[in-house]
Amino acid sequence: MTKLPPGFPDHSGDWPPDEIARLLARVTRPGRYAGGEFNTRVKPGARPRIVLSYPDVYEIGVSNPALQILYSHLNDATPASAERAYCPWPDMAGFMRSSGVPLWTLETFAPVSGCDLWGFTLPHELCYTNVLEMLDLAGVPLHAVERDGEHPIVLGGGPAVANPWPLAPFFDAFFVGEVEGHLDAIVAAMQLESREARLRALAAVPGVWMPGRSTGPAERQVFTGFSASQPVLRPVVPVMEAVHDRVVIEVMRGCTGGCRFCQAGMWYRPVRERPVDLVVEAADRLLDETGCDEVSLLSLSSCDYGGVAETLTRVRDLRPGLRVSLPSLRIDSAAESLAGFAADQRGSLTLAPEAGSQELRDAINKGVDETQFEEAVRATFESGFTGLKLYFMIGLPGETDEDVLGIARMAASAARLAKEISRGRARLSVSVSSYVPKAHTPFELEPFAGAETLRRRQQLVREAVPRGVRVAFHDVAASTVEATLARGGPGTDRLVEEAWRAGARFDGWSEHFDARHWQAAAAATHVGIGQPGVDRAYWRDAVEARLDQDFLEDELARSRDGELTEDCRDGACAACGVCGGEIAMDLLA
Amino acid sequence: MTWWLVSFSRRGPARYLSHLDTSRVVQRTFARAGVPIALSQGMRPKPRLSLPLPLPVGAVGANEVAVVEVPEGVTATTETLKALRMASPPGFEALGIVDAGDRHPRPQPRAAEYTCVVDGDAGAIAAAVERYNDAEDAIRERVSPKGTRRLDLKKYAGDVVATPVDGGAQLGFTIHHRSDGAARPQEMIDLIAEWAEVDAVMRSLVRVRITWDHWPPDLRAGGGRS
Repeated sequence: MTKLPPGFPDHSGDWPPDEIARLLARVTRPGRYAGGEFNTRVKPGARPRIVLSYPDVYEIGVSNPALQILYSHLNDATPASAERAYCPWPDMAGFMRSSGVPLWTLETFAPVSGCDLWGFTLPHELCYTNVLEMLDLAGVPLHAVERDGEHPIVLGGGPAVANPWPLAPFFDAFFVGEVEGHLDAIVAAMQLESREARLRALAAVPGVWMPGRSTGPAERQVFTGFSASQPVLRPVVPVMEAVHDRVVIEVMRGCTGGCRFCQAGMWYRPVRERPVDLVVEAADRLLDETGCDEVSLLSLSSCDYGGVAETLTRVRDLRPGLRVSLPSLRIDSAAESLAGFAADQRGSLTLAPEAGSQELRDAINKGVDETQFEEAVRATFESGFTGLKLYFMIGLPGETDEDVLGIARMAASAARLAKEISRGRARLSVSVSSYVPKAHTPFELEPFAGAETLRRRQQLVREAVPRGVRVAFHDVAASTVEATLARGGPGTDRLVEEAWRAGARFDGWSEHFDARHWQAAAAATHVGIGQPGVDRAYWRDAVEARLDQDFLEDELARSRDGELTEDCRDGACAACGVCGGEIAMDLLA
Repeated sequence: MTWWLVSFSRRGPARYLSHLDTSRVVQRTFARAGVPIALSQGMRPKPRLSLPLPLPVGAVGANEVAVVEVPEGVTATTETLKALRMASPPGFEALGIVDAGDRHPRPQPRAAEYTCVVDGDAGAIAAAVERYNDAEDAIRERVSPKGTRRLDLKKYAGDVVATPVDGGAQLGFTIHHRSDGAARPQEMIDLIAEWAEVDAVMRSLVRVRITWDHWPPDLRAGGGRS
């Protein structure tokens, strides 16, 4: 037997334990629950024992870059051991319940419930019932008030914490913002003896909001050391196929494009860029470390990254045949970005005009005109890409039927160019999602369009889009639930719990989402689903996002007047209120 | 170009991987170890790597084989084997590399030996095994998207041996690969479990040994020569 590198679990013998092996023999894709990835860390006996979770199935969760950052830092730079657990698929959940086997971690197969701290990253509202499912499968009481010294402290983080109310009673605490600078303090808090002492110490960590304990909102934390920090250089490499199976390097955090609908654009301010040399060196090391043959340069808007052209070229030159990808392209600079791709990796591409008319694009501060759009489409096909996906939203504030029909016109224009340039070889598809107003954005108090309007406008698009263009729509019922939770105040937690009790799981998966579970929950709790408006911004009682209220109101007024706001990276400060003190934009020279 | 026959074991958590995932793990292990794999020609080159006998999900493979083409000048040394071992995820272990020269070896499985623990009454399982061993034929239907096929398991598998173990019985059997195909280990276990009236849960399935036809002359499978 080979001597294992330090930190490797010896999984060669009778592993996993027999009671788990019996379950694995019965389920689909048992590899989801067996761990064994390259770069898995095991620290036997280390304290505190922390479990990190993403409330979705393994293939989705293991691709989450935030969890990789936390896992690496906690295991490699603190005394803690960090292990992982993802949400079991319904078949496994059923077998776990019938056999009485509680949720385990992939690293040690030990029950999650025995850990000191259970951290969830919360990406969006439609995974909330999965959080309850995981707590229940672990045997941890759903409500924080029912937990005692035998149970872990349950901590939530991630972008959905922008409004923590729908999950408030199920968590002991939430961390608001970027946690990298506070992990050591959290670990130190978990090293204290009693649960009460740990909670008190945790409450003192900046950015922590504790339902029922905190007297005011927690201020969103910004990782000011981002630009100089190293990306994760020893990531867990999945052994079964994951949704993102490649090297991921976060080149930039934050976006100042200023799209008024975009929560992430507001939440992750200010923009901080990593130096090109650091990114290229990390890519080189990560290719060796993972064995992957593709690198993704991750950020909210990678085309805006100051070193994008140089980085694309230098990373592509690291290995023959290496594929380099950007998560999305900006329409107004697509042509130059496309030049950075090698001819042999031109498959399909996504462009996001977001709205179908110039007026509406100006209202959301997208500011792309139809000439730029046509140039981008032309450049896409002339560069040899064989597939193009156009991404739009319907239900935006102030939207009319005419705006929606503009989506079909733009699709027709793209289809014409595809035919002209690619001579029938190119595939064109259109994805239309439903806009959900989110907390801490200029549109945070704008009305949700409602199911009836969304369905009618989907039909308008469906009928007007030219034949041969594939159109996909988001499930309106799921968007309605998302809208309810995104701005839900105290009490919406009862809706989540009742929906889970009614059977709601994996609501973000179209094959699992069942509106009847939520309708039953609404009837039982008298919490309305899909109401157009909210009476106040409840989320501000829990979360201070550092965004100036005047900025948000001014942006809303400018939206109604169709005025654009310049990207502050280009010089004009929009006075959003985020920069100040140590917090500032950090751009490449 | 040079062809290698790489023998490896797949155990522990790795046994829950599919055939494609196993193949990708082998490929990634080579990349991490810095051992290049030759690429196919064409617009989208693919690594020249194959696993000639897929291992069922959930099965331990004690001595599996990957056929890998490496570029000219890449040699198999003890350092190569060590690098592959260090670059393997938990549960995978490179056991040996055999240099098969410049002709593409196409080993065909002749027979594979399996053991498997089936939970339930050991006496009932032993009786089912005896019934199987005494039977003239054992017809099963295999349903696939292409249609339904009837096959006689007795044509593909010899006698089954049952040994009582804690909570059930361990079955041992050999599946013979013929020109018209082979039985699947799950089909054997399903049959015995059905006749024993126990749950057909395939726990601890191990492919102990594979014997090959068309193995390159003068080479021994899993010999560990490197």
